[in-house]
Amino acid sequence: MKPDIPAVLAEIAGLAARNAAPDVDPAERAGALGLSAALLGMAAEAWDGAAQRLVEENQAVRALLADAGERAGENASLASGADNDLRISTLSANNARLRAALIALHVAVEGDEAPEARALESRIWDELRLSTERHRLSGALA
Amino acid sequence: MTSADLASRLAAYAASRMPGAVGVEVRDLSRISGGASRQTYRFRLAWTEGGARRERRLILRRDPPASLIDTERRVEFAAYSAFHGSEVPVPEMIWLEEGTKALDQPFSVAEEITGFEAAPALLWAEPYLSAHATLARNKWTLLGHISRADPFALGLDRVMPPPSPEACWVRELDMWEKVLDEDEVEPLPITRAAIRWLRAHPPPPAQKISVVHGDFRTGNFLYDRQGGIHGVLDWEMAHLGDPLEDLGWSLNPVWNFKRDLAGGLVPDVVAIAHWEASSGLRADPSALHWWTLFNCVKGQAIWISSARAWIDGGNREPIMVLPAWGLQNAQDRAILKVMGRL
Repeated sequence: MKPDIPAVLAEIAGLAARNAAPDVDPAERAGALGLSAALLGMAAEAWDGAAQRLVEENQAVRALLADAGERAGENASLASGADNDLRISTLSANNARLRAALIALHVAVEGDEAPEARALESRIWDELRLSTERHRLSGALA
Repeated sequence: MTSADLASRLAAYAASRMPGAVGVEVRDLSRISGGASRQTYRFRLAWTEGGARRERRLILRRDPPASLIDTERRVEFAAYSAFHGSEVPVPEMIWLEEGTKALDQPFSVAEEITGFEAAPALLWAEPYLSAHATLARNKWTLLGHISRADPFALGLDRVMPPPSPEACWVRELDMWEKVLDEDEVEPLPITRAAIRWLRAHPPPPAQKISVVHGDFRTGNFLYDRQGGIHGVLDWEMAHLGDPLEDLGWSLNPVWNFKRDLAGGLVPDVVAIAHWEASSGLRADPSALHWWTLFNCVKGQAIWISSARAWIDGGNREPIMVLPAWGLQNAQDRAILKVMGRL
C-alpha cells in the first residue's frame, strides 16, 4: 500500500499527540480521530500478510517472465531473481520492478496472435485478477 | 492559523465586501470533516445593515497547500453560479477570492443548505433505504438536466474551454494519463492495460457538448428521507465535454458501495433510463462502456494523486491517505469488472 504503512503510522502518531491538546476544535478532533481509526484498521489488516503477498506476487510474475522467454525482452533476467531479503521495503522495490516488467510483457503479447502469446496474455490477466484479491481489504471503501 | 485567527480574518474580509454593513462578525466557525480537495468550514455571518441585525449561515471552502484534485476555483465558482436558480439545485455562491492576502490561500464563500444529509453511509438503512427508487430517479434526472443544459447559453465556455465533439475523449484521456504519469507511486498494470484498450477503441463523437459535473455520484448531493435532492455539490472538476462522461462516472463500480447497484441505489439500466428520459440524449451502450472504463482510469488517477500529495509532503492530512488505501484496489477490481476480466 502506498503511502507506506510505517510513514502513515508515524504521521497518525503525531496527529494523535496534537489532538490531545485541550484547545483543539472538537469537530476537527472528531474528524481526525475517525479518519485515523479507519486508516489504523486498514494498516492492521494489511500488516500481517504484507510480506507473504509480495513474495507470492513476485514469484508469480517471475514465473510469467520465465515462461515468456524472448518475449520478456530486456526484462527476461528478472525471472531468475529471488526474494532473499524479506523486509517490506525491499520486497516492494522488487515488486515494482517486476510489475513494470509485467506491463512491458503485457504490451508485447497483446498484439501477438501466436497461440503462445494468447495463452500468456490469458495468464497475465489471471495474475492481475489474483493480485487484486491478494491486496483486497475488508475495510476498504468499495 | 488558529480557528480564532481564521474567524477574525474572515470577518475582516467579509466587511470589506459589504460596504453597507457594520459590526460584521464570524460566529461558530467549525471545520467539516472530509473535503479532500478543499478545507471546508461552516459559520454564521452576522452584521448590521439599515439599522437591522442580520445573520446568514455560510460555507467557507479554502484551498489546502496541496489537494486531492488540482482545479481552478474560478471554474468551480462559475459552474455553481450558472446553475443557481435552475432546476438543478445548488447553493448560492457569495464570494470568490483568488488572492492569498486575506486567508493565505484562495477561497470561496457560499450559502449553506441546511437540514439535509450528504453522507452515503446513512443510505443503507431505514428510513432512507425505502426511498432508494425515488432518490435514484431524482439523482439521474438531475444529471440529465445538467447534460441537457446549453453551456454556451450559460456562458460557461468563457471559463471552460469547449472541445470539439470528436476530441472530448482524447482530451480527457490525455489529461488523466498525464496525471498518472506524473503521480504514479508504483507501476499499475491493470490501469495501464485499460488505457491501452481505451486508446485502441475510441468512442463515437459526443452527441453534444455538455456541462460535465465531473464528480456526480452518491455522496456529492444533499438528500432527504423521502429521496428528494436539495443540493448538487462538489463541482471542482466541472468542464465541458461529452455528456456520457458524467453518466459513466456515476456508474463507476467504486461508487456502488459494495451493493452491485449503480450508486448503491438501482440497477444500471434503471439509472440510464432516468438519465435518457431527462436529458433527451441516448446512452449508446458501447460509448457508455468506453466512458465507464475511462472513469475507472480517472478514479485511479485521483486516488494515486492523493497518495503522491501525501508522500511529497504537500498535504499530510489523513484524508489524503484514505482514497489511496481504501479505493485503489477497489478501482483495480472495478476496471477488471468493466473490462469483463473479473
